[in-house]
Amino acid sequence: MDTLKDYIYTMESCNHCGQCRFILGPKMRGWEYAEICPIYLRYKYDAYSGQGLINIAQELLEGTLDYEDGLIEHIYSCTTCGACDINCKSVRDMEVLDTILALRAKCVEDGQGPMPEHREYARLVENSHNIYGRAHDHRFDWLPEDIAISERAEVVYFVGCTTSYLYPDIARNTVKILNAGGMDFKVMHAEEYCCGAPLWRTGQREAARKLAEHNLEAFRKQGIKTLITSCSECYGTFKGFYPRIAELDFEVLHITEVIQSMLKEGKLKPSKNLNMKVTYHDPCLLGRLSELYVPWNGEIKAYGYHDPPKQWRRGTNGVYEAPREILRAIPGIELVEMTRNEENSFCCGGGGGVPAAFPDFALWTAIERLNEARSTGAEAIISSCPFCQSSFEKAIDSNQSTIHYHDLTELVARVL
Amino acid sequence: MSLPEHIYKMFESVVGTENISDRQHVLAAYRHTSPQGGRRPASPEAVILPGSTEEVQAIVRICNRFNIKYTAITSLFGMGGLANQPGMVILSLRRMNRILEINEEDGYVVIEPAVRHVQLKPELMKKGLSYPVPSVGPSCSVMANFLGKGEHHIQHSYSKNNRYLLGYEWVTPTGEVLRVGSLSSDAGWFCPDGPGPSLGGLIQKGNGVFTKAAIALDAWKGPAIMPTEGHSPSYKIRLPQDCHKVFIFKFPTLDKVRDAMIEMGKAEIGVGVLKFFYATAAVMFTVSANDFWELWNSGLFQRELPQAVWVYLATWTPEEMEYEERVMWDIVREMGGEEIDESIRKKWEDNMDFFIIVSFLQRVLKLGGGWAPIIHTESLHHTFEIAKTIPEFFNEFIEKGLILNAPYNYQIIPIEYGHGAHIELLFFYDRTSPEGQKIPMEVMKKSMENDIKHGHYSATPMAGQQYSNFHVWATKIKETFEPEEV
Repeated sequence: MDTLKDYIYTMESCNHCGQCRFILGPKMRGWEYAEICPIYLRYKYDAYSGQGLINIAQELLEGTLDYEDGLIEHIYSCTTCGACDINCKSVRDMEVLDTILALRAKCVEDGQGPMPEHREYARLVENSHNIYGRAHDHRFDWLPEDIAISERAEVVYFVGCTTSYLYPDIARNTVKILNAGGMDFKVMHAEEYCCGAPLWRTGQREAARKLAEHNLEAFRKQGIKTLITSCSECYGTFKGFYPRIAELDFEVLHITEVIQSMLKEGKLKPSKNLNMKVTYHDPCLLGRLSELYVPWNGEIKAYGYHDPPKQWRRGTNGVYEAPREILRAIPGIELVEMTRNEENSFCCGGGGGVPAAFPDFALWTAIERLNEARSTGAEAIISSCPFCQSSFEKAIDSNQSTIHYHDLTELVARVL
Repeated sequence: MSLPEHIYKMFESVVGTENISDRQHVLAAYRHTSPQGGRRPASPEAVILPGSTEEVQAIVRICNRFNIKYTAITSLFGMGGLANQPGMVILSLRRMNRILEINEEDGYVVIEPAVRHVQLKPELMKKGLSYPVPSVGPSCSVMANFLGKGEHHIQHSYSKNNRYLLGYEWVTPTGEVLRVGSLSSDAGWFCPDGPGPSLGGLIQKGNGVFTKAAIALDAWKGPAIMPTEGHSPSYKIRLPQDCHKVFIFKFPTLDKVRDAMIEMGKAEIGVGVLKFFYATAAVMFTVSANDFWELWNSGLFQRELPQAVWVYLATWTPEEMEYEERVMWDIVREMGGEEIDESIRKKWEDNMDFFIIVSFLQRVLKLGGGWAPIIHTESLHHTFEIAKTIPEFFNEFIEKGLILNAPYNYQIIPIEYGHGAHIELLFFYDRTSPEGQKIPMEVMKKSMENDIKHGHYSATPMAGQQYSNFHVWATKIKETFEPEEV
């Protein structure tokens, strides 16, 4: 797997241009909502940004910075939303987010990280295969009896821990939609373990690797050709982390992509009117961070030439259009856009282990995003990720906001 | 060395606990080695985030009292403005980021230092207003670019940025608040020069801290919102074709390039007329370094662009566009010009933000890169004489394999319809090579020597003696304003 040393070129290339903190020029809309990095917006110092974190990574690697008090908290305050990474890569050949993730892995290897709350993730996953410490044999308690499951299907619905235990309605709506669209699929039952996202993104890569190896083996045994998930964290992990372990021999789809296809093929026909003005929040790991990771083991030659050529993940082919097409297909829905959308989406605060270790900052970030959603005049914010749902619902409760949150699958299930 | 505790506490009492830090992991962001030139700034002792002019003033006074050197920063691009010696503190003006007033009637905007182009430009576009954005990238500070006389691609019609600077507020090196221009007589922000002598010439030396400034505005001929299509990094930004067009013509000689520019200036057509860097263009219009090499190795830009003129026409009406286009074609034909390969022109047509905010400017750094001195000259004739000598010293480095083989990689931009001109060189080197970190200084030195050899004096200390020893006077002025040398 990649290590921090693999990103020395990135560290040495940073010219502090500021692109990692601000919305891209082509997407500019005004003074408000022009900043795209949650930690930079909240903590203000330049060190709290993609640039700052790669400067820290370089000094730690070179041994010129010690693990002084506050450093680990600083490194783990980042939501790993990748806004810095994609903006940087609009102009440079640098890997900002992978540097941050490798920095966290180094902290773990050095016995300094992660935060205690993240160590607890690993302990719980070891015992119960989910980060919430819930009983593994209750993972599929949400599954309605009237749902048709085809045990011979080559398509699997991978549910994920957060959906299974905290937001089972997403799972129920997902399987209802799959049935309505005539999709043959199955679920993994006891063979489904945590995808590994919370461990990967907190630097606990060996623990994450074990989960990935288990799941990959289970997919292989069951002859899986297509994996569908309704969780953006799972989606981004399958496409961004699993290829670091092994080459994927199955297709990964998010439920929004499946619904988009079903609508195009006429397999789903929304028939009810929802009369709602909504805005869509692009989850980080479904949008800008969802492109397939392709390992690269080459040499960076003179003038930055990558030999052999590297396949970059610049956020160009994120899942941006599928959820919007679905919303536009629902009668009565008026879709309005936030300033920070698509590849410049502002994080909900739910990633990178931040809600566990820094709940106040996670809440602050979600409120910032809700305020932006409210500024569009929308009555509801829609997304496609249980982590985003958790962030926004907490923010709505704390803020006594009048805006509502809905997972996209809920809206689709309501109009079938 | 670290700040004595009592001094740290004094700073803290000004800005509050949250807005000052001396933690090493926070300071790490201010001492990173610049990839261009390899200079590693000294580590500051603390970074302070003032939120108002009063706080800046109080900090500067503490610095004077205890002889602590300070520097103020906003966007950090290129690691400019950082600590140049140990013991300094950094004032990050990042919290001072408000747009204080947009005066549509009198056509100016009042801003704080940390307002970025990507924030201000769209606010103005919504109101049908604009200003020229220098070639720095959208995340840089507007105010810094105007105080620093930033250069931009549409100087042909819009003039230089320092012409746009109106009243400003300045915390002097000794901690006085000085309001300059019409502001000094409580007459508002509208004019850079109030009663008495102008202080505009002093601001170049980087004395003190500028806390507010007014920028003059022009009318914006484009849409209220950028018509962006696609996703990063493959955006397309095409302004309405009936009133916005881009052309690129190649000419048989550099003299014809010059004459075409002069005639377009006389006719006062075009928002942007320039000879752009051909290698830089290839770097800017490719995403990765590998993409660049593929394009560069094809030889297309080398064939088409060394003697080319870019013309950006932007008009209020289609009729006006028709007129300007006809005049332009008359000039181009008269000078023996012809259109370049259509695939190149299309790149600019698809990315008209090049003339608006230069969204992808930072790509120029992806190969290593470097800049050489910018020279302002009195006339286009003079500028082209300078240009003709550039390959003389570029070739020395090219033959040794130290810089990219692009001997004509310079840009020339007429100023105010050709009444002056700007010339800038850009060379690409491999910063990872053993000689990499020495190359920029070597090229710049040769460039200056070349200018002097040919009688083209640039505004550098090397040429100071040619201009009444102005650098000595500049130092004296600095000493007068900054007796404590903080």
